[in-house]
Amino acid sequence: MSKSIGFTLRWATLLLVAAVSLFPIYWMVMSSFRTHEEIFRYTELGRGLFLPVDWTLQNYRDIFLDPAKPFGRYLLNTLSVSVVVTAAGLLINAMAAFSFAKLRFPFKKGLLALFLSSLVIPYEVIMIPQYLLMRDLGWINSYKALIFPQIVWVFGIFMLIQFFADIPRDILDAARMDGARWPRIFGVIVLPAAVPALITLGIMTFLNQWDSFLWPLVVINEEKRQVIQVAISSYQSLRGISWGKIMAATTISSVPILAVFVLLQRYYVQGITMSGVKG
Amino acid sequence: MTTPASSARTPSSTIAAVASSIPGASSTAGSADASASANAMRSAKPSKRPSASYERQEAKAALLFILPAFALLAVFIFYPMLQALWISFRHYNLISAESAFAGFGNYGKLLSDDAFLASLRHSFYFTVVVLPVQTAISLGLALLIQRRFRGVGFFRTVYFLPVAVSFAIASTIFRLIYNKDYGMLNIVLKGLGLPVLDFLSNPDISMLGIIILCIWRAMGFVMVIFLAGLNNIPDYLYEAAHVDGAGPLQRFYYVTIPLLKRTLAFVVIITTMDALKIFIPIYITTSGGPAGSTSTVVHFIYETAFKQMNMGYAAAAAFLFFLLVLAISAVQLRLFRSDVEY
Repeated sequence: MSKSIGFTLRWATLLLVAAVSLFPIYWMVMSSFRTHEEIFRYTELGRGLFLPVDWTLQNYRDIFLDPAKPFGRYLLNTLSVSVVVTAAGLLINAMAAFSFAKLRFPFKKGLLALFLSSLVIPYEVIMIPQYLLMRDLGWINSYKALIFPQIVWVFGIFMLIQFFADIPRDILDAARMDGARWPRIFGVIVLPAAVPALITLGIMTFLNQWDSFLWPLVVINEEKRQVIQVAISSYQSLRGISWGKIMAATTISSVPILAVFVLLQRYYVQGITMSGVKG
Repeated sequence: MTTPASSARTPSSTIAAVASSIPGASSTAGSADASASANAMRSAKPSKRPSASYERQEAKAALLFILPAFALLAVFIFYPMLQALWISFRHYNLISAESAFAGFGNYGKLLSDDAFLASLRHSFYFTVVVLPVQTAISLGLALLIQRRFRGVGFFRTVYFLPVAVSFAIASTIFRLIYNKDYGMLNIVLKGLGLPVLDFLSNPDISMLGIIILCIWRAMGFVMVIFLAGLNNIPDYLYEAAHVDGAGPLQRFYYVTIPLLKRTLAFVVIITTMDALKIFIPIYITTSGGPAGSTSTVVHFIYETAFKQMNMGYAAAAAFLFFLLVLAISAVQLRLFRSDVEY
């Protein structure tokens, strides 16, 4: 008897938490298909509250066709910055990680300690001088400001070192005996062996860039060069908030990411657990 | 991803920072040791010792491999860090273009600045509430879905899904949900005959609204960390406890909790670090209001630096805050270190 009560309680909790987790996302997607008036109309519990009555794509048309706020441009900006940072980051971080994990050179421990020490530097502290540096370089309102400071991610180097450490040194020595140079060994042996790790790190980097908010808010002032997250937040500060448009914008910027995330979450979870629990 | 991460970059970087500072967690040092000892073994056997030019070539290649990362790190992290320290000792306002040495002037002024002290209080209040509540919820979820059963994959995915919603977007959605007149939350509360809650314009409860939003987004992330920790506990310990007649609660208290201590330490430390730095939801939902009730430290720094353009004062605030976070992390590490290793 008590066993079946426990069973029911367990399932009730599982379902309740699932509803709480999903509901805001569901609400966002549904609101994006409502007309402007409808969002404010249904203030009682009922069917109209949970499903749009007059389905419409007008919000989506509006955000893409508004010349003052070029939504397609924001998407493209964010996508290109994220892709460049991810690609450059994977290459440069993997190179450093390979060196630390497999090669022998003087001052290795000291250099590694220096790299890792940067992890305790809080972003809030360096944000101000970084901004001043961008101003001095003339990079304000330029994608260079969004890309270059973000490429090196010491956490990523740290993670890759752990993966690379499993590659046997004998294989590298054998390739060396056969006359391969180190860059070739890196490209032909090490990188292919670390593909799962690179996918993991790539997803984490891409998501971080896609989500970045504070730094673009600070260094990008020109409307049409803004990234998606800041652009969406600027929809709200306008007079007469148009929730339908905002929800369409948030839906477009989240749903593709959510879909990819569901497909690749295994790798993402691997990254999280690698960083913390293996010890 | 995260624990309530204040900026997209922080969560995992703090993770690694902690990972490298938790005793025994640094497998990097381990691998460096391993290769160093392998090196020593090689040189002990002269016949197998690689030639000097071979070694020189390897060292040269190694440094070239590191160079790009090192250069970027030096320009964009280390140099700004030193400059931040320098700026914090100056009166440096971008608007009035004044720049003069201030000594500890900025720091002294901060300690009697009500706005700064209030922002510290708000950050701590946020952290003190989020830390236990979020940890308990996430651990509970991890325990609920740890065992395999039909549909477990579905629940794992669903609980983890909010992690992929960007913080800015989560904040935007909740702003609509919290709306007093047509927000979902109040319609449901009214429908159930409960009093309405106005998180966005009632200073007494505005921070709670932000707390709920942050827990919604972060619980799946922490849950995954706990799941990994739970899976590291060997089954035979539970079986042994079962044979000895321990009930589920006793097994949780005497087996799970002690063996989960390292994971728990990790979760507590990263949650604290990230919670203290909360910014994005504040900027988007309330901009620090109503009546300054949700202005946190990072919000104070942002306003001071980029609205008032008072760089020196903001840099000093950032440093003061950094020292505080560092001290708290040190205390937490010390507290957890006293536990028995297993």
